[in-house]
Amino acid sequence: MGYALNFNLIWRHFDKLWGGLLLSLELAVISIAIGTVIGLVLAVWYVSAGRTVRAIIAAYVEFIRNVPLILLVYLVFYGVPTVVDLAYSAPTSFVLTLSVYSGAYLVEVFRSGLEAVPRGQLDAGKAIGLTPWQRLLHVRLPTMLRITLPALSNTFISLFKDTSIASVISVPELTFGAQWINFNTFRIVEVYLVTTAMYLVTGYVLLFGLRLVERRFRAAR
Amino acid sequence: MLGQILYALPFLAQGFAVTLWVSLLVVVLSLIAGVLLGVGLVYGPLPLRWAVRIFSDTIRGIPILVLMFFVYYGLPAIGLHLPSFWAAVSALTLFKTAQVIEYLRGAVGSIPKGQSEAAMAIGLTFRQRLAYVIFPQAFRRFLPPWINGVTDAVKGSALVSLLGITDLMQAINQVIGRTYEAMPLYILGALIYFAVNYALSLASRRLERRFSFIRE
Amino acid sequence: MSEASNASPVLLDVSGVSKAFGAIEVLRSVNLEVKRGEVVTVIGPSGSGKTTLLRCVNFLESYDSGSIRIDGKEVGYLSAGTRQRRGERDLAAMRAETGMVFQSFNLFPHLTAAGNIMLGLTKVRKKSQAEARSIAEHWLGRVGLAHKADSLPAELSGGQQQRVGIARAVAMEPKILLLDEITSALDPELVGEVLAVVRSLAEDGMTMLMVTHEMAFARDASSRIVFMADGGVSAVGPPKEILAAETTNERLRTFLARFRASYF
Repeated sequence: MGYALNFNLIWRHFDKLWGGLLLSLELAVISIAIGTVIGLVLAVWYVSAGRTVRAIIAAYVEFIRNVPLILLVYLVFYGVPTVVDLAYSAPTSFVLTLSVYSGAYLVEVFRSGLEAVPRGQLDAGKAIGLTPWQRLLHVRLPTMLRITLPALSNTFISLFKDTSIASVISVPELTFGAQWINFNTFRIVEVYLVTTAMYLVTGYVLLFGLRLVERRFRAAR
Repeated sequence: MLGQILYALPFLAQGFAVTLWVSLLVVVLSLIAGVLLGVGLVYGPLPLRWAVRIFSDTIRGIPILVLMFFVYYGLPAIGLHLPSFWAAVSALTLFKTAQVIEYLRGAVGSIPKGQSEAAMAIGLTFRQRLAYVIFPQAFRRFLPPWINGVTDAVKGSALVSLLGITDLMQAINQVIGRTYEAMPLYILGALIYFAVNYALSLASRRLERRFSFIRE
Repeated sequence: MSEASNASPVLLDVSGVSKAFGAIEVLRSVNLEVKRGEVVTVIGPSGSGKTTLLRCVNFLESYDSGSIRIDGKEVGYLSAGTRQRRGERDLAAMRAETGMVFQSFNLFPHLTAAGNIMLGLTKVRKKSQAEARSIAEHWLGRVGLAHKADSLPAELSGGQQQRVGIARAVAMEPKILLLDEITSALDPELVGEVLAVVRSLAEDGMTMLMVTHEMAFARDASSRIVFMADGGVSAVGPPKEILAAETTNERLRTFLARFRASYF
């Protein structure tokens, strides 16, 4: 033992962690936003499409879900530019990857939500003369959202934690900031304690916020 | 290009073996630890319940990568030196243990209280109740999420490459370092991970169906 | 000590048992004796503490003060004075001496009818599989379900499940059988078959303590009836006395009036 905790050096470099956390959140928010669009569009398409389209969407979902995120991150950042004439920064590359990645998870969430919408509600929509689009917009999607909100919150939190993988391509988010301080100050225990606390607090604040949204959504119905 | 990849295959196979070995260790160790702690969470005295709850919520709240760096770089500072392999396995196991705790809690929690009471009433001891009444029923609820989680362990194992362990991920990166054939090798790697995990998830779906015949 | 008490006609002795859930007193200094071979029925409005009392007898519930003895032996605590609980093994051994049948049957859904009965016989009574099987078959025969030995609970009707529940309890040869509203969860047409089994056990001299809302059955099958109200014993006596219309016990009269409207 005999290791005395000393946080002074951590506070001196705290901007690395704070800036990192903000970037982590930015990466998460943008990727989740794009992923949600991918997820919604593909889920709606899936439940109304024929066999071929279903198979293609399923292939995308299954492939992404069964491959490590870190490999996808490498593939997009180091692999893709070798075959396509594209240049993008590491953060852009990561957002691209996490969007496609989160899209696959969110298709699943939305699809199971759509399939859980009771038939009676759709029939009721038909009975009052709504067009298919109106039924989707005013009956199916709102009900689906209410059903999936808890699962959606968990997926969002988990995707936020996944942003730590961006550190492997030197995106200066929170985990990268922690490593920088680790290697430059050697206050190792302290930096990871602070980093852990930052992830935990952020995660729980997000969760709390999402639960509030869930409650409001339920109350509004 | 193809020649270079073929040349690298034995090396990749070695890495793949390490990936499987890490995954297996993590799955087995976390199963044991998770079931024990999960039983503690459900049936233990209040302080133990709190300890397990805090452990699980904390571990699940931080990225595995941070957990791994913490264990690898942080533990030596308090006098605990783990070789990188075991540091990586420990971190992944900690994370998976927290998941197993939750699966177990969910599975055991789904069994009505009357089952324990009926088992008590015929004079079974705590261990006998678990072994003959609770676990056999909890098993079929525990199994599907747990097997699904095995794919998480395989995917998570790719992170050990960051501690310099030559698993499949690291082997791929090293071959790319020599051959500069990034795209084909990453795709090959993705296909290998996919094949393993997809097979596992198919197996879990089959098991789920097999055990669904037992009704309440 | 147990040798001496075996001679005593009193099998179950509940004295001064009190219990509170937080601020609510569910049992207030309850006294009750059940003699060997007696069938004692506990009646009373819901919330009167009947079920809690029953659950204290095999220590599914702990109690705050007082003493419960079966065959002279303190049930859940090391002695009447202390609130020090018996160890896990000791408690399990005590519980094996009392049989319990539940309102919601609580059969083990992963085991067959015979398997439900055999579990206690093999694990607690340490009997061989073969012996346990023959005992299980004997009792399934007694409750009229010999042909259902290998059925899972999900394949049985409610009445059949409850008969297996009774067989599971009596196969352990308990000193006393506790029956907790065992027909309340059953469809009316299935109540009769279950009560018939209880009646035949009573005729065999099985000591029973039961909570029920079946007043007609209580009147016909009980040696004595205990009327509980507000956590205490309000009246005890032979069925004729307790169920008489002209009782002076105000509470009992109101309680019975409500039943008479629908049952008698």
